[in-house]
Amino acid sequence: MQEGLRLEELGEIPFDEKEILRYAMLPSFASAPEELPLRECLAAAKGAAQCRAVWRRYPLARDGALLDLGFAKTDSRDLIRHLEGCAEILLFACTAGAETDRRIARAKLQSPAKGLLMHAIGAQQVEGGCDLLCRRLAEQFPDRQLTDRYSPGYGDLPLELQRYVMEALDCGRTVGVTLSESLLMTPSKSVTAIIGMKEREEA
Amino acid sequence: MSFRELLNQGPFFLDGGMGTLLQAEGLKPGEAPEAWNLTHPEQVTAIHRAYYEAGSHMVAANTFGVHPQRYDLPMCEEMIRAAVACADRARQEANCGHEMFIGLDIGPCGKLLKPLGTLDFEEAVSGFAEVIRIGAACGVDCIFLETMNDGAETRAALLAAKENCDLPVLVSNAYGADGKLMTGGTPESVVAMLEGLGADAVGVNCSLGPDALAPIVERYLAAASVPVLMKPNAGLPQEKDGKTYYNVLPEAFSARIAALVPKGLRIMGGCCGTTPAYISALKAAAGDLVPPALQKKEHTVIASRGTVIELGKDPVVIGERINPTGKKRLRKALEEGDMAYVLNEAISQEEHGAEVLDVNVGTPGVDEPALLCQAVQELQAVTDLPLQLDTADPAAMERALRVYNGKAMINSVNGKQEIMDAVFPLVKKYGGVLVALTLDETGIPDTAEGRLAIARRILKEAEEYGIDRRDILFDTLTMTVSTDRTAARTTLEALKLIREETGCGTVLGVSNVSFGLPEREVLGSAFLTMALERGLSAAIMNPLNSRMMGAMVSFRTLTGRDENCGAYIRFTGELPAMQAVAPAAVAGTAPKETGANGLRRAVVKGLCREAGNLARTALESGEDSLELVKNEIIPALDEVGQGFEAKQIFLPQLMMSAEAAEAAFREIKEKTAGQAEGQAPKGTVVIATVKGDIHDIGKNIVRLLLENYGFEVTDLGKDVAPETVLEAVTRLHAPVCGLSALMTTTVPAMAETVALLHERAPWCRVMVGGAVLTEEYAREIGADGYGRDAMAAVRLVESFIAGNA
Repeated sequence: MQEGLRLEELGEIPFDEKEILRYAMLPSFASAPEELPLRECLAAAKGAAQCRAVWRRYPLARDGALLDLGFAKTDSRDLIRHLEGCAEILLFACTAGAETDRRIARAKLQSPAKGLLMHAIGAQQVEGGCDLLCRRLAEQFPDRQLTDRYSPGYGDLPLELQRYVMEALDCGRTVGVTLSESLLMTPSKSVTAIIGMKEREEA
Repeated sequence: MSFRELLNQGPFFLDGGMGTLLQAEGLKPGEAPEAWNLTHPEQVTAIHRAYYEAGSHMVAANTFGVHPQRYDLPMCEEMIRAAVACADRARQEANCGHEMFIGLDIGPCGKLLKPLGTLDFEEAVSGFAEVIRIGAACGVDCIFLETMNDGAETRAALLAAKENCDLPVLVSNAYGADGKLMTGGTPESVVAMLEGLGADAVGVNCSLGPDALAPIVERYLAAASVPVLMKPNAGLPQEKDGKTYYNVLPEAFSARIAALVPKGLRIMGGCCGTTPAYISALKAAAGDLVPPALQKKEHTVIASRGTVIELGKDPVVIGERINPTGKKRLRKALEEGDMAYVLNEAISQEEHGAEVLDVNVGTPGVDEPALLCQAVQELQAVTDLPLQLDTADPAAMERALRVYNGKAMINSVNGKQEIMDAVFPLVKKYGGVLVALTLDETGIPDTAEGRLAIARRILKEAEEYGIDRRDILFDTLTMTVSTDRTAARTTLEALKLIREETGCGTVLGVSNVSFGLPEREVLGSAFLTMALERGLSAAIMNPLNSRMMGAMVSFRTLTGRDENCGAYIRFTGELPAMQAVAPAAVAGTAPKETGANGLRRAVVKGLCREAGNLARTALESGEDSLELVKNEIIPALDEVGQGFEAKQIFLPQLMMSAEAAEAAFREIKEKTAGQAEGQAPKGTVVIATVKGDIHDIGKNIVRLLLENYGFEVTDLGKDVAPETVLEAVTRLHAPVCGLSALMTTTVPAMAETVALLHERAPWCRVMVGGAVLTEEYAREIGADGYGRDAMAAVRLVESFIAGNA
């Protein structure tokens, strides 16, 4: 494995029905339809997700108008603003794993509603995995203040950055995530993101 | 001693990490190690030499990342030549008394294969083939496939090696801490597949240290007949003062590995974080040990991506339902390419206890080789049950065997010379467990002895091809007892004779015994029990038939295979649901309200079963189906649709209503099938997710709603090329086409499809939708309309069709 890479086994994230319904586009004030097959889908999803992450720490540097992220340079104004005051970043990739995709494919065959729910469960898993990872990172760097995570494709940060992220984190080997020609990650329930780190401000 | 003999003897020492040492020499993070073959050949050579001198019998040339997915061919060739030259120079310069070999090192290509990813299997094979041909021409001694974390990709690489050189192939996979490959393979399933394809050694490397890898290696040793290799990391990477180091030192590393030699480990080295010092320590610890002689495992196993089934231990249920013989609905689905129907058959059989699925898609008018290949790939995307490939067409068998991820069951060969000549080479090349029918040129012998004689001949011929007898099961052919009163007796006698004499497992399609008789499963289940008692290894049967499954479950319980009768009790608990043939008989779903208003309410509320029941009751009481649609279902859908547009109703609710409407439509279709009065389709719509994109949740919702509203929808699926969309639109002369894209990167493919349709199918109106699109963006790429959501798409289609009329 390349120097500096760190792996985190995050396992299966506890199901959060509220979150899952939110990912299924049901706002929190609305009630779920009586026959929505949520129980069935949760049972079918059990044991599928195997969240894993890989991360790496990079120093930040200015290079004229560009921001040098350590693994690539960017002129994204939105990211530059997001990372204001940061001296370093943490770059990570997190995935719910291949089995989740298979369960989604299977559910989609059975009915569109099940497909939607299984997709929402996968989203909750990977997002929950990211949350867990971020908590671990915050513990690991107690003297630093961490920004929210920021992903390629947000704002004006181009999706093309994904190619560099994949290389930098050796994603194929470390977490089994690869990129298609159209910059789509497989497994589909995967997230890459940048977190800024700055000195903790004195209270 | 030859390379293969040395491997079989062991201990055979491999090298350790390369990347780690190049980094120490100045390779920057992110810089490609293989580039150093050209820019820093001295450093690469020195590392190889150090490994030889530390005791490595084989070093892996520095070619791990060289693959046509990353470099063009001339560059691949240049890098491989330089890499092998470095290793060769090291071999000449090294000062040591043992034999020295060079392996062509091949890692993953960096793209995930279909169906999870986007890389086509044959494209993966040809990419690896290029690398292997170049490497073989450079004179390497073996092919070393390593760090592969996907079974399908490993299969592609091994097949490429076997098809493009005669060199020994060592295959090493990378497992996670859960003991699985990233895509779900287990040591047992991987070993079954790789041995079937003819790997010369199998094993594990990278990802974990020796302690964590040891249990995985032990599982390899229990499963494999070929030599096993192990190349762990030096533990886990740790950081101290900004420096990375690995936490297992050479002594502990080598002691842990050496402890596995008495258990059968013969090939060993190190991966990330290991250096020549680790190999020296390993040689010191294990060099004088003698592993026990290689032992061939006698079990008969088939495997899928991650599931292994052993035949000959407990009787196995092979689901028979994916076979169009006598099944009109399936035949129609196959003719229309409706793979969803086939996949649902698979899922329902799995849910009812099938452990293997027979797959037969042979029906007149289809391209069987292409269809079987497609069915296998799509089935493997949704089920992990091993498959039994069932075709009489050797071309179809070969195409399916190539892509089958695992070790398949092959149905079938028989005693006819011509068939044996066609099938045995396939089994030899791709691996598999072969079902051999005891018939030959003269037909099916009337006697058990006659069938035994054919079995002997088949075994003899198989032996000449080098096919192991453990990989053959005999089918003594179930004949219809209504036309020959001794038919079943002969089949069962032959079963017993063959089992006793050859020791091979047996398989029977049991349903045929009762053909032409009433209450077929009464006879069929008794026959199954008799066959099981005579040692039947697997039954090809209908797992959805409660009586047949009852016989199987009971046999297991009565023969002491069912702890606390748990399986039997679980099975009987599901019996009421299985026996309810007609949906009307399902308890607790009686309509709460009858009459017209009930149906409308059921659809609005998204109550699927109730909607179906109400529609049926209404039709049975003589209501007109068109009236029902016009007065009940459509108003309900409109109510929900308007609520959705007003943001009072949300996606899950919309979908449940759509499904409830669908349930009602199903009843109406059933009722009006064959009658002219069915609802005339309002128009044809072709829909697809564009090339490069695999998001289809939104597209599926649009399809469902369009169907609800009475449109004929042809759904081309996801990742669909512009030409394919054009072909369908032209063939159906579709007035409307809907395209979906979820990513900015796939919008160009959408624009290309829109342009192609406008140019070549000018009658067709194109609507687009998907997360990244906006009204403005849609106009920019030339679309005729933008569907903000599923309801908007329905409204658009309605307006297009009304405008065209």
